[in-house]
Amino acid sequence: MMRLWIVAFGLAVMPSLAAAQIGNPAGLAPDTRFKAPGVPEANQTNYQDRLFAQLMTAGGLAEVDLGKLAVSKTDHQGIRAYAQQMIDSHGKANKALGSIAEKSRMPVPAEPGEDQKMARSHIDGLKGREFDLAYLANQVVEHQKAASLLAWEIGSGEDAALQRFAMETLPTVLEHLQMARDLTAELTLQAQAAK
Amino acid sequence: MHTTTKIALFSATALALFGAAAISDPLPPDLTYRPLPSLPFSKVKQTDEAQKPAVMDRQHALLGDRYDLSDRTIADVAMSGGRKGVQAGVRVKTAPGGEWDELASLTPQQIRDRNLLPLGFLPLPHVKQATGGQVFPEKQIGEIGRDEGRDLRRFDVDFDLPDHLTPEFPPPIFLTTHPELGDVSRGDLLTIRNFYEYMNGIVTPVQMEGLRLLLTPFPQEEFNQTEDRKVAAQSTGVACLDCHSNFHTNAAFHLTPDVRPQAERFRLDTTSLRGMFNQQIHGSKRSLRSIEDFTEFEQRTAYFNGDHVSATRKGVNLPDRPNQVAMMAQMQNIIDFPPAPKLDSAGRLDPAKATDRELAGEKVFMGKGRCAECHNPTQSFMDNAMHDLKLERFYKVGQTFNDQVAIPDGPIKTFTLRGIKDSPPYLHDGRLLTLEDTVEFFNLVLQTKLTRQEKDDLLAYLLTL
Ligand code: HEC
Ligand code: HEC
Repeated sequence: MMRLWIVAFGLAVMPSLAAAQIGNPAGLAPDTRFKAPGVPEANQTNYQDRLFAQLMTAGGLAEVDLGKLAVSKTDHQGIRAYAQQMIDSHGKANKALGSIAEKSRMPVPAEPGEDQKMARSHIDGLKGREFDLAYLANQVVEHQKAASLLAWEIGSGEDAALQRFAMETLPTVLEHLQMARDLTAELTLQAQAAK
Repeated sequence: MHTTTKIALFSATALALFGAAAISDPLPPDLTYRPLPSLPFSKVKQTDEAQKPAVMDRQHALLGDRYDLSDRTIADVAMSGGRKGVQAGVRVKTAPGGEWDELASLTPQQIRDRNLLPLGFLPLPHVKQATGGQVFPEKQIGEIGRDEGRDLRRFDVDFDLPDHLTPEFPPPIFLTTHPELGDVSRGDLLTIRNFYEYMNGIVTPVQMEGLRLLLTPFPQEEFNQTEDRKVAAQSTGVACLDCHSNFHTNAAFHLTPDVRPQAERFRLDTTSLRGMFNQQIHGSKRSLRSIEDFTEFEQRTAYFNGDHVSATRKGVNLPDRPNQVAMMAQMQNIIDFPPAPKLDSAGRLDPAKATDRELAGEKVFMGKGRCAECHNPTQSFMDNAMHDLKLERFYKVGQTFNDQVAIPDGPIKTFTLRGIKDSPPYLHDGRLLTLEDTVEFFNLVLQTKLTRQEKDDLLAYLLTL
């Protein structure tokens, strides 16, 4: 967060608000090089950046993977549209994240994490409404976790490009979370009405 | 089957069912816990000092974007000590196409979709969100430096608001035990050096001891002896009344203890301690049920970090509940609101003393403006409850401003409006600069569609409280 760069929000921020990230230097990597007093050079990472890149990449891959599963299995139109959006949106984000990771020389995983694989096989074993609800429940938790991780990177990362990625991604992740919550509410209310 | 086998089988099924949860890793610990510095103190200090001009420029740019920061006071109105004017006018800037009357005619959804919510209504970031911590205004730093030789200046940030937008300093002190005396502050700031001389003869021995403790500095998060302090020399710490100067507020700010991760913590503007005797819940979010609980706990966690772990490392003061805490509480509980000569005992305007405009304002307050639904005149203009104003109906959550991620405020305690002209800036984080700003804010949030005249009347009324 130490670099001076311009924030170009896709979302809602006026150009005049563009501002540099400036973090707590107590969290910089010990070997950080500075291009000016107090301003680290680009593409340097601290441990938060590196762990964030690992966890976000695994999570993003799981999102696309599960999205494909849901598109092929669900009968619910809203969920299919949602799942397709996850494939597109997280696919794009994974690419952006991958290119930052490459520039900053951070190795990232090539597949989802173990827990995500297990969750997938559990969800894959279900059918119909049970499948829909399990997929949505997974989506709520995964997006809650992603939102926390993104805020963590914004607050304590060192690599400015990665932090910009986090800032641009967070509002979208919260939107996805809201969609998953809304769909869950829709489905569970239907379930109650059917009883 | 043996019971043990049954249990084993049961656990195996449970594991198969809930296996995913059982092996899933928790998020990294420093989402919740404060990491220790990874660099030596000298290096951190050097970098912090080098960053400081950019930090201040960035914050001033944000403030300038959001607010009109000029120095314009309301004619013939002063704060209760008579030493400082009350700032006039709506200071929150509107977006083009989103002037106040237009905003009032739109739905929350329309305002959100068209991005028209004035930015000054959004949460106000700390001057350096990633570090956070307590930041004192210049006058407090100067006075404590002169009187006690204690350094309250941080090397990484300065106070960000112009002095004319903060409360009068030092503020007057009114006692419930001596209404006949009026302001007993002698126009000076209470410190550990002068409190005995100033208060001897006015307070009881118990209150005096409570006052001494409230003025005694203890090591805290940014002001202590370890390498993660943000003050140049090892510090003896901070006292309660460094923020609550003369039991009021000097607008020193901090981050809420109640939220993590760090980027989502909201700013906290110091509250006044006037009228605590009538307040049933304390803290904007914590809803602590007594002044004793609040007093005891603030010291336990090094003032507003919600972090007993790092507080313990820096040294905590654990005041003894039946003796010290009780005395600190009893001292706080005799601090009165400033006099409001136009109000009767039930908090209503006396028609013989109030102007027509003030009376019209009271009518708006009690009726169309809906203010009294939460700011109840018989309860010191509080309701001892928390309310969710749901401001996020009007904007997209999750955007980052100066490293702060704007998430919904959620339920916040209703603040008193007694003596309200004395305590700018307004709301829990100080995001509103004038009373006119608060009128526009609540007019929008409550969708009450007040007219220009009704807003003006309401302001006249608020100034009588
Ligand atoms: C860094 C500045 C600072 C210091 C030091 C400080 N306070 Fe506060 N005080 C605040 C802020 C900010 C709040 C609002 C807290 C919130 O909204 O959760 C507050 C709230 C309070 C409240 C509750 C008021 C209300 O309206 O809910 C009490 C009581 C209080 N403080 C007493 C103390 C005592 C006693 C100490 C010393 C142990 C102390 N404070 C030290 C800034 C400070
Ligand atoms: C639904 C309950 C509710 C209503 C109705 C309401 N308020 Fe409030 N008021 C609150 C809460 C809660 C806060 C604290 C909000 C925060 O800090 O985010 C507050 C804060 C304030 C503050 C700032 C106090 C301070 O010390 O910073 C002012 C001024 C105020 N209200 C004025 C008004 C006026 C004027 C109206 C009517 C137009 C009004 N309120 C209507 C609940 C309410």
